[in-house]
Amino acid sequence: VTGFEGDSIASALFGEGQRIFSRSFKYHRPRGLLCCRGACPNCMVRVDGVPNVRSCVTPLREGQRVEAQNVWGSLDFDFLSVTDKFGGPFTPVGFYYRTMIRPRRAWPLYEKFLRSVAGLGKVDEHRGRTQRYDVEHRRAEVLVIGGGRAGLEAARRHAAEGRHAVLVDPDPDGEEPGVELVRGTAIGIYEGGLVPVDSGTVLYRFRAERVVVAAGGIEQPLVFPGNDLVGVMLPSAVRRLVGRWSLKPGTRAVVVSADDRGLDTAALLERAGTQVAGAIDLRASRVRQIAAKGRGGRLHSVELDGRKVDCDLLVTSGGRQPAYALLAHAGGRVEYDHARGIFVPTELPKNVEAVGAAAGELGEAAVPAATYNGAAKGGKCFVCICEDVTDKDIKRAIAEGFDSIELAKRYTTVTMGPCQGKLCHLPSIRLYARENETDEASIGTTTARQPWQPVELGLLAGRAQEPAQRTSIHHRHKELGARMMWTGSWRRPHSYGDPGAEAKNVHDSLGVIDVSTLGKLVVGGPDAAAFLERLYPNRFGDMKPGRIRYGVLGSDAGRIMDDGTIARLADDDYYVTTTSTGAGAVLEWFEWWNAVWGMEVRIVNVTGAVAAVNVAGPNARELMTRLTDLDVSNEAFGYLDAKHAQVVGVPALILRIGFVGELGYEIHFPSPYGEHLWDAVLEQGAELGAQPFGLEPQRILRLEKMHILIGQDTDSESNAFEASMPWIVKLDKEDFVGKWSLEHVQERGFREQLVGFEMANGVVPPEGGQIVVGGRPGGRVTSSRWSAQLGKAIGMAWVPPDLAEDGAEIAIKVDGGVEKARVRLRAFFDPDGEHLRS
Amino acid sequence: LTHLDFLSPDLAAPDAVWRSPLERALAHAPDGIADVSRTGVLEVRGDLSGLDGDGCEVVRLTAERALVLCDWQRVRNTHAKLRQQFRVTDLSAGWAGLSLRGEAVLRRLTDLDPAALPAVGAVAHVQALVLRDDEETFRLFFPQEYGHYVAEVVVDAMKGMGAS
Repeated sequence: VTGFEGDSIASALFGEGQRIFSRSFKYHRPRGLLCCRGACPNCMVRVDGVPNVRSCVTPLREGQRVEAQNVWGSLDFDFLSVTDKFGGPFTPVGFYYRTMIRPRRAWPLYEKFLRSVAGLGKVDEHRGRTQRYDVEHRRAEVLVIGGGRAGLEAARRHAAEGRHAVLVDPDPDGEEPGVELVRGTAIGIYEGGLVPVDSGTVLYRFRAERVVVAAGGIEQPLVFPGNDLVGVMLPSAVRRLVGRWSLKPGTRAVVVSADDRGLDTAALLERAGTQVAGAIDLRASRVRQIAAKGRGGRLHSVELDGRKVDCDLLVTSGGRQPAYALLAHAGGRVEYDHARGIFVPTELPKNVEAVGAAAGELGEAAVPAATYNGAAKGGKCFVCICEDVTDKDIKRAIAEGFDSIELAKRYTTVTMGPCQGKLCHLPSIRLYARENETDEASIGTTTARQPWQPVELGLLAGRAQEPAQRTSIHHRHKELGARMMWTGSWRRPHSYGDPGAEAKNVHDSLGVIDVSTLGKLVVGGPDAAAFLERLYPNRFGDMKPGRIRYGVLGSDAGRIMDDGTIARLADDDYYVTTTSTGAGAVLEWFEWWNAVWGMEVRIVNVTGAVAAVNVAGPNARELMTRLTDLDVSNEAFGYLDAKHAQVVGVPALILRIGFVGELGYEIHFPSPYGEHLWDAVLEQGAELGAQPFGLEPQRILRLEKMHILIGQDTDSESNAFEASMPWIVKLDKEDFVGKWSLEHVQERGFREQLVGFEMANGVVPPEGGQIVVGGRPGGRVTSSRWSAQLGKAIGMAWVPPDLAEDGAEIAIKVDGGVEKARVRLRAFFDPDGEHLRS
Repeated sequence: LTHLDFLSPDLAAPDAVWRSPLERALAHAPDGIADVSRTGVLEVRGDLSGLDGDGCEVVRLTAERALVLCDWQRVRNTHAKLRQQFRVTDLSAGWAGLSLRGEAVLRRLTDLDPAALPAVGAVAHVQALVLRDDEETFRLFFPQEYGHYVAEVVVDAMKGMGAS
């Protein structure tokens, strides 16, 4: 195709003689240029692999590959046009709700066929990202949508009053002093004056203090048999073809219009060399029947009340409808104006203004008939050309009981196509009113929804952004070959190759794990102790500075929310750790209660500020002597002690705790020294057998100790009693969050209980697997692993209370069969904690 | 060491290696972007009516909460002075920061109003503090654990606007 600068794809094709641009959605009828302003679906093509490109408003570029879409065959001969000729009785409105249901076994075939023919355009699944899209946030005191005369005047007015005025238009002309012109299309108005503007590859998200809608009016098609033939155009198409691209739209034309804008095209056509065989002013001439006749889908004549006129161009207009959709998005009220036969905006929000045609300032126009098919038998009479909805479809929907326009919209899909109701909303309501023998005001409008203009999904998506939290040791893990995994939004090492060997190394010598992801809060102030006493079911007020205690945080309903360790650093300062994914929720929970109680407590989230490395294993103490001058003997630094020291030159808080069941130290220190400390630990621990271990070996190790994982072994119903942690609940405390609920649990008795189990035959049951009691589901497995240390398959499960006895036999569903296991109530490994305390 | 000194990175020995979370992401960054993560950040709480920041930059977040941004070398002294009157937490290790040239780039990162800075809001979906140094220069501070991600997004946005 050869074109000129300024050509659109469609104008270049039209200039080369192309008249059929697409095939219709359902009947695969030939379709040609109709509006030529980006409102209708007729010119949609696939450009460089991108479907549904409106070729009439897409600039022609060198090397573009333009293909027809929704075609089986070619544009001139589409095999699926058989549905137009023979499919009518089989494909009435809503046929897909009623047909192709039986026989049920044939559904896969039906589905395959329907999916291959349904929809508009095909997305190339293998193409990948070919276009960069960005989102840009902009602000304006006044945003004017539409650069026509009214929009320009409004922009000038606001600029003259000293406001920052931005005018958005798909094709702004030149420059306008004091007004910022932005090329693009507003696709909707949202709360807070948010107006997204599609500028092709950048989505501007404008926040405007005031929005002026100058979106103009939309020429409405007339509804008559053959109104979709190639050669039937709206006046806008003629204006653009002749005025913008100097193209001759047809050889012999007939103009039928309800207003002057339509009739003016007659003169334009004559100047372009088109013979105008007739121009009908619907205000003066009462036409009852219009029937366009064609051959091969192309117009060759029109019958006006039976009078045949040969023509290859029929320009029709039912007058203009204010483009009020954007106003409706903003919350504007729209009412039907009987005298003019259009919907007009009546009440607008105070920061929204409508000007020009969008406000209803239109010239005098006739109110067209709902249809012009009279009593004559003619071809299909389209109310909605996007979805191929005919007048018969609407009548049938009404006959079937879809008596509201909103229901009819969903049933017939009228107004739901690419034009978003621009060309079919008003005609469908007129027809609905006539068939229901009521008026348009009673029918009302359907809800206007964004987007007002078609927009590429890529543009809405913008750049792919996936916020990821990384510890300050993250890159070291990658260098060590760790397989990374997500835990919440954290990236963590799953393992460094062999989870079993990593777990064994912790038992045998020394393991090192990055636990920087733990949530960390400093809770300080004169009321800090009392505050924690009220939040947790166990005691913290009696702790001495330098001591650590485990805590399970419960909700008002006594349900377990989170867990972690609480170290008392000073009389008025506690250091609270939470689960890796629970930090945000715990912080909110603490702050909420602090606001309620009004205590003198300050909570500071130091999760990101503090990195943490846990060294665990029989050689952990020896390693610590190499890393710090601190006396780390068992006498000086006992289990559950917290001490401050420089560790390889870095100020650190060291917690002696043991989630993984071996002698362990958790070193907390400023994040920027993460790699420095990690490197030193591995280097100085090398001859002690220090090896990193990941999350998966940690899960094996903690399961051996029967330490619970919140969210894995508990759910939103779990409480500390039934989770077999009654020792942590101090009901003799004055009060704490969830106390009443836990008292109630104690009174009513347990309904289930969390226990450990050992499999009889070494099979590892699936997590989430059923506990079978008397042939029925009686519980569920929450965690399960093979423990090389123990040589057993172990796990934790919720079981009925009567089975929560050490040694009780339970049955677990595995691969369709049932396997036996023994209940264990004490830790599988080191039940007396000798390793931890050693 | 006192009980909250483990939060203070400036107390580390000189041979302890401090590394910025942005270091790798900014290794091949275009001109116009600089790592300012080594900034002292002190969170101050209490009745802030008498807060003057000891010559440092003060960003008031709420009536009773502010951030004091200061030169790395001044953290200790400033911390000591402020602590006499307020509850102060050293969060220098918790924040990463970058300096960025170009309002247009900033507009692709956040919906904060460049004319109403400093402000806290989402930058590439991460809560951040954004300050304006001059017409075209901005500083962004955000949780260090998101630092690598944010830096990658900023570099990508700059490249999308033609920076190389």
